[in-house]
Parts: sequence; structure tokens; C-alpha cells
Amino acid sequence: MRGIEARTAGTGLRHRLRQRFAEWVSRRIPPARAVTLDQKRIFIFPSRTGLFFALCLLVMLITAINYQNNMSFALTFLLATLFVVGVLHTYANLSGLTIRALRASPAFPGQQSEFSLQLERGRQREHFGLHLRWPGSSDAWVNLTDQDSVQVHLHMPVARRGWYSPGRLLLESTYPLGLLRCWTWIDLDLYALVYPQPLACPELPGLATDQPDGAAIPIVGSDDFYGFRDYREGDSLRQIHWKGLARGQGVQTKQYGAYADRSVWLDWDMFAGMGTERRLSHLCYWALQFESRDEEYGLRLPGLVLEPGSGDRHRDRVLQALALHGIEGRPR
Amino acid sequence: MKPDEQIPRNALVWIVISLFTLVAPHAQRIPLWILGVYVFTAFWRIMVYQGRWSFPGRWVKAGLIVSCFAGIYLSYGSLIGLEPTVALLLTAFALKLVELARRQDGYVLLFLGYFICITEFLFSQDLPIVLYSLLNVTVITTGLVALHRPGENQFNRKTIRLATVMLLQALPLMLVLFFLFPRIGPLWTVPIKSHTAKTGVSDFMKPGDISRLGKSDDVAFRAEFSGDIPNAADLYWRGLVFSVLEDGAWRSLRYYNIPASERRPQPVDTSGAPLAYQVIMEPTQQNWLYSLRYARPVTPGVMTGPDYALFSPGELEDERLYTVESWPDAQLELELSPWRREVELRLPEGDNPETVAFARRQRAQADSDAAFVEAVLERFTREPFAYSLNPPLLPEINPVDAFMFRSRTGFCEHYAAAFVVTMRAAGVPARVVAGYQGGEINPVNRTVIVHQFDAHAWAEVWLAGQGWVRVDPTAAVSPDRVEWGLERALAGEGSFLRDSPLSLLRYRGVAWVNTLRLRYDALTYRWQSWVNGFNRDKQFQLLNDVFGGISARKFMLVLIGSWALILGPVAFSLLRRRERRAGSPADRHYLAFCDKLARAGVARQAGETPEQFAARAARSMRPLAEQIEQISRLYSALAYRPAAAADGRQATLERELGRSVRRFRPGRR
Repeated sequence: MRGIEARTAGTGLRHRLRQRFAEWVSRRIPPARAVTLDQKRIFIFPSRTGLFFALCLLVMLITAINYQNNMSFALTFLLATLFVVGVLHTYANLSGLTIRALRASPAFPGQQSEFSLQLERGRQREHFGLHLRWPGSSDAWVNLTDQDSVQVHLHMPVARRGWYSPGRLLLESTYPLGLLRCWTWIDLDLYALVYPQPLACPELPGLATDQPDGAAIPIVGSDDFYGFRDYREGDSLRQIHWKGLARGQGVQTKQYGAYADRSVWLDWDMFAGMGTERRLSHLCYWALQFESRDEEYGLRLPGLVLEPGSGDRHRDRVLQALALHGIEGRPR
Repeated sequence: MKPDEQIPRNALVWIVISLFTLVAPHAQRIPLWILGVYVFTAFWRIMVYQGRWSFPGRWVKAGLIVSCFAGIYLSYGSLIGLEPTVALLLTAFALKLVELARRQDGYVLLFLGYFICITEFLFSQDLPIVLYSLLNVTVITTGLVALHRPGENQFNRKTIRLATVMLLQALPLMLVLFFLFPRIGPLWTVPIKSHTAKTGVSDFMKPGDISRLGKSDDVAFRAEFSGDIPNAADLYWRGLVFSVLEDGAWRSLRYYNIPASERRPQPVDTSGAPLAYQVIMEPTQQNWLYSLRYARPVTPGVMTGPDYALFSPGELEDERLYTVESWPDAQLELELSPWRREVELRLPEGDNPETVAFARRQRAQADSDAAFVEAVLERFTREPFAYSLNPPLLPEINPVDAFMFRSRTGFCEHYAAAFVVTMRAAGVPARVVAGYQGGEINPVNRTVIVHQFDAHAWAEVWLAGQGWVRVDPTAAVSPDRVEWGLERALAGEGSFLRDSPLSLLRYRGVAWVNTLRLRYDALTYRWQSWVNGFNRDKQFQLLNDVFGGISARKFMLVLIGSWALILGPVAFSLLRRRERRAGSPADRHYLAFCDKLARAGVARQAGETPEQFAARAARSMRPLAEQIEQISRLYSALAYRPAAAADGRQATLERELGRSVRRFRPGRR
């Protein structure tokens, strides 16, 4: 029993220490959209290899002392001072680098979101062996040699609906000698949007449709081919006239004619009596269903109405509205 | 395997290069098959790299290790001693290459490489070796750098640049540490060189031993006199005293054969100014040290034997520096003890009957011992004796008889031995002394370079009232040998350095070759006296002279101060803002303006035109709006409407822009 208590106390202490450290780091390195590394943000310490090297140096020193060999002394000291000079070079490899948050791709819970960053050259002409990762993300090794900046994409599974914060980004490097590890923890102002988990339900209760007005108007996402028009942003990729594009006719969208009688309203009140998350999950499911059928759909949430429409852009708007329902702004 | 654990191909190439540069200076002292292991493992690793072979399995590796261990044991006869240890390290270094797969293996290999550099110094600290080791360290460091450049999969010569820069930056720091780091004595005894051949004069002498040395142009030692250099004919570098003739060979008395009362040398009258000089001996793996008699060592750790020869208790594994004072005219051992007299007269019973008879006859005709000595020397001069580096072989039985009365051709050891046998047969105490005679004076730094071919043997006879007197029978046969050295003495025979066609000494006649050789020798001497001479005492003296006394506080201050002085510029050059400002003066002024705004919290974004930026900046700092817009206007006029600015107003506009930017002070956020 005592053991368990002690262990809990231990973890408690460690937890507190970790929290303290996190607070200290946030004070030192506040979140930002782009961070340029300076001496306030860079930490440096001998790596495990460095400690092994120090041990080797000790053996060399003992050899020099025991053989009373001046050149062995000189070589030992040369390597020891190389270690010291290495501090500056290792530091210079990170110093001045700018890390810019570009974007994070939205994802459904359990999927991987792609976080895109841009690394920009610092004071050195060349930066080597930059290692980037978030806790739990994939990692990337980057050299900045020929170009001024390089984009990095890291993947990370996301969990709950809303804004997902990846935490602090670890950027480290042991270049050039591997004897010292230089690193920084950066809190980037970068969040991934997490959609609700789509949850199937057999049918849409109380399907609400607009009344048909009988006019044949071009509506995106219908069945009957109507004609071509120039591509506009937001048109579904599925309706692009690829063959024409291949023939060099420019990007055109196929238009389908239909009576405007098929637009559907996805309404918060359809799933009365369910919990918020469940409602959002069902709405999400149906939005995806209509999108895959190329049907028009609108969304009504408390305090928010999205007119019926379709296409990738419309879908993204709907999903974002569902993801952010009840969530106050971006986390700060 | 994670990318950080992989070995970039560039690193692999550098590691293979370091492998061969490291083993090269050791090649002369390791068995040939170890070089075979190097070639084999490098070949294997390259095959792995090309994807044709795979890394060795566990059993293959174990087999390789065991067979290499066994090979070293068989080659050296043991695994103990410095040479087998170094051979083991070198083999381990080569074998590690075939399992070089991850970065960690690279670290082990390269750190081992650094250590192998150190072991090279245990054999030689000569300047070329030191410079070569510096190259080795650079190559190893390059390997280390290349190891941390992921994705560099082509050999890149330029990788060496960073390693060189870092080492050059470390070098001054190293020098500070080298002079300041306190030197302490050895912590424990370490493996010694057990497999290095002994060189120089050996501890016994048979006919032919010295003449063998006469064919070598290696340097035996160098001496530097604090005053004038004595005449070449007086430079008799005394090393060993051979008092015992046994089984046809001359040897020294063994320490345990000397009665306790005879073990200390008799005191010598040392009045008058001594000759003071410093000697640096090349390693011989033997104990004797050379000096002009009568010599009193100044350097601690140098002993004087009962026959006034100097020796070191430990074998000379490395170069040895010692300082000596000599009184050439001092009389040695004026009173000869009965034991000593008996020893110095002893001859094998019944050997060389002709010589013994001749000696007794001659002694009977002479008035005194001194006259007898003269008579014998005179016979060497009168009769057709010849001095030769390649004398005919003497028979095993009665060799002195054969030499004195038949062959009459010999090198110094034949004359010395024959002379001493003659003396002893007539009842005059005598002994053979081996060492070097003469030497080459280097005009560059006034040192005396003594080569192996200066090896010499002469005699000492004990005369009442004079003690031990040096007699050189070779001088009677070939006065040139003593006056001018071996080359002149062998001029007729043409045998000087016949077997070393590449020896620079053979080209002494070519002025520039000789000048270069002597300059290089002077450098070698200077380096040796510095490297071998810098010890605790010298360090103490140096620090005392430079800093006036040493305290821990001062020590730290000097260390930290000098390091800061060196590291400051290095840090500055590494971390200063990189100027990539090219272009027109207008561009430079405008970029300075952008920098000021950026520091104030308004940074120009990519793709923003000067107008857009100015508008945004003006919005966010209203009080400065006018200035911002003016600067932006000026710049636009200069940069985008060159026609408008070309009518002689360009310079004015540029000055105006520069002034405005300098006056613009948005402050810092």
C-alpha cells in the first residue's frame, strides 16, 4: 500500500514539475504564427553521444598522463576544445531559423490531420539535420541548403470535435558533431479543425424539402446534362469537363438541369431528444450522404443557417459549422 | 531504420578514407596481414553499399574477431605490451567497419579513430607525424560532420571545410589549455613497448657490430652546447664501458657482479669551468646515455655508473632530453682498487698466444706503460693496417692474432679490441669504450648531429698518476676518421652509405639539398627539445615568468579570459546577422526602413508592394504616417520610375531617401 501511495505521490510530483515546466516554457516562448529562434528559445546540452565522447576524452587524458606524452595532451585538449567550439556551431544551426505555421488540414476524429509548416533560413548559409515533431506526430528531417525555405508536413491523429491543438512543436538538431543537442519547444498558433464523427442513422426523420416551383434551372448536382460554363471556384471536381480540359478547352464545368425540387434542409430539430454530439454526428453523416449523391442540402443550426447548395466548398462550410457548433472562437 | 540512424553515403566515404589514413603511419610496425584486414573490410563494406553483399551475421562476426585476436597473439607472441594493444585497436577499428550500419556505430568507429591518433604519438612525436595526425583528426571530424547531414548521398569534398574551420577555431583554445593544464605524474604503470627493436650501440660488442651501425644514416642524438663546440677530434661520446671479454665478445660488468664497495664511482676533481650541453637522444629501447667524459648529469633521473658512464634506469622508449656538465680534463680513478685492477686485466686463458707474446715483448722493451702504449700505436701506423667498413671475417679461434698478424684490416672495434687485449696481456689495465665519435655541426642552430655511422669504439688504459686515459688506436690507423669523420675516412673505399642510395647525407655536396636538410634538422631539434622538454618544471617556470606566480584564481581568470577572447570573434562570425543586401543604394535604404518597421512590430509581408505596405504601416502608426508615406514615395520614384529619376536628380533623391530613413524612428515594440 505504502508503495502505491509513494508512487502516486511521485507521479503527482512529476506531474506538478511537468506542469511548472510547461508554464515556464509558455512564458518564455509564447504562441505565435511564426517564430524566429533566438537565444531566449534555444536550449543546448550535451547529447548522450557527447557524454560518451567526454568519457573517451577522459581515457585519452589518462593515457596522456600515464605516458607523459605532450602530443597526446595536445590532441586530447584539441578534441575537448572542439567540443566547446561545437557549442557555438550547434547553436548557430538553429539560431535565426523561422518556423511559420501554414495550415492544418481538417479531419474527422481518428484520422490524421496534416500540419504544414514552413522553415525559413536563419543566419547560416546551410542548416542540416533539423528534426521536427509534435508529441505523437510523425517526424521529419529537414536540410536547408539550396533554398531559402522549405515546407514540412507532419501528420498527427486528431481526437475530439472542435479545434485540435497539436501542442508544442519540438525542433532539434545535433549537427555538426552530434556531441551536443540543441532544441526548442515552439507553441505555434496552428490548430486543426476536427469534424464531428459521422454517425449513420437509417433515415432522415421529418425530411424538409422546398416546394418545387416548376422552373427548369441549372442546379449543380442534378441528373440531366444541361450544358457547359466556365469553371468557378467552389464547383465540384466531379463535374469538371475533364475530357475538354484534356483537349485544351480550358476548365469547364458540366451543368445539369433539374427542377429545383430536390434541395434538402438538414435541421438541428430533426433529431430532437438526442445529445448535442449525437445530433451533430447524424447531421454530419447526412451531409456527407447528400454530398456523395450530388444533391443540394442546407443546414439549420441554432443561430446559423446555411442556404442549400452543394460542391466541395459548400460541404466544407457545412462541416465546419457542425465542427464548431457550441465552440467559442479559436483557442488562445 | 529511422532516417536519423542511417549513415549518409558521404559519411561512409569519409569514414573509409579515415580508415586508411589512420593505419598508414602504423603500417611499419604492425604485421602485414592487418593491412589485409583493412582492405578486406573496406571491400566488404563497399559491396554492402552496392547491395551485392550483406552485413556479416553474428557468427561470422564472432569468427572474424576470434581469428584476428588469434592472429595478433601469434604475430606478437602475447597480447600484453603496447604494440599488441595498438594492433588490437587497429584491427577492431577495421572490423567495426563491416558492421557500420547505424549512426551509433559511426560514433564508436570515429571515437576509436581519435584514440588511434593518440596511440601513434606513443611511438613518435616527430613534427611530420604530428602534422599528419592533424590531417587524420580533420578527416575523422569530417566523417563526424558528414554523419549529421542526412540525405547527402554523394561524396562531398567540401564537407572537410567545416571540420577544418572548427579545428582551426579550437586550436588556440587548445594551446591555452595545453600550457595551463597542470601536469601530474603517471597515475599507474602502463604497457611498455615490448616489440620495438633495440637500436644504436648494443650492450655487448663482437667484431662487426659497430661496422653494421656504420652503414646507417639514422640520427643517434643531437647535442647543443651552451658555449663553444669543442673540436670534432675531441668529441668522444662515451656510452658503454666494456670490461669483460667473454666468448669472443666484449661486454660491461653486470651490476650484481660488482662488489658493493665498488658500485659508486670514485669522486672526481671538478675544478674549472665545465662544458655544458643538452642532449636529445632518439629512442633506443636501451639504457645508456651518451656524454663527454667526465660528465655530471644535471637532469634528474640520469645516473652515473662506477665506470663514469651515464645511464637511465628505464629504457629509452621515447626521445630523451638531458642536460650534462663535462670536465674533459678531469682525471678519472687515480687510485685503482685491487678488484678493479684484476677485472681490467683479465683475459681468457690461452687465447691469442701470438698477441700475448708480442705484447710481453714490447712491454719489456718499453720504459713505462705510457711508452708501451706509444709503441703499440706506432706499430699500427707503421705496418700496413687498413681501415675498412667491410673487413674480412675473422676466425672464431684467436681472432686478435688473425687480425694483428694476418688480415690487418678492420673497423674501429677490431682496433680497440686488439689494442686492449695487447695492453692486458702486458699487464696494463685497459678496457674498451663504445659510443660515438665526432658528429656533424649544423650551422643553422649550432647543434651537433650524431648519426649512427658515427658509432665508434676506442680504448681506455689506466696509467699511474693519470688514471684512465683515452687511447684511440683507430686514430693511429686512420687519422681522418677522428678529424673529419667516417665519410672522409672511407673515401678511398667508397663504402660510405653505399646501401642507402636515397640518404640525403650522400648529397651533402649539393648546396641546396644540404641547406634544406640542415634547416629541417634544426627544426626537428627545436621541436624535440620543446615537446620533450615541456614538463612540470618548465610549465611552472613559464607560468611564473608570464603571469608572475600561479594561483587557482589567476589560473581560472587566464583560462576564462583567453577563451572568451578567442570564442567571442568566433561567436560573432557565426551569429551575426547575415547581410544579403545587394542592389542599388535605394534598395539598401528601403530595406533598412523595412527592418526598422519590423522591429517596431510591422513586418512587410511576402508579395506586399511598397504602397500596400506603406498604407498598412501608416494605419498602424498614425503619428508617423507622413514620414512612412514620404519614404515609400521616394523609394517608388527611384525604383519603379527610373526615367523620372534619371534626369540628374537620382543622387539627390537617394540622399533624401537615406536621410529620411535615418531620421525615421518608430521605436521598438
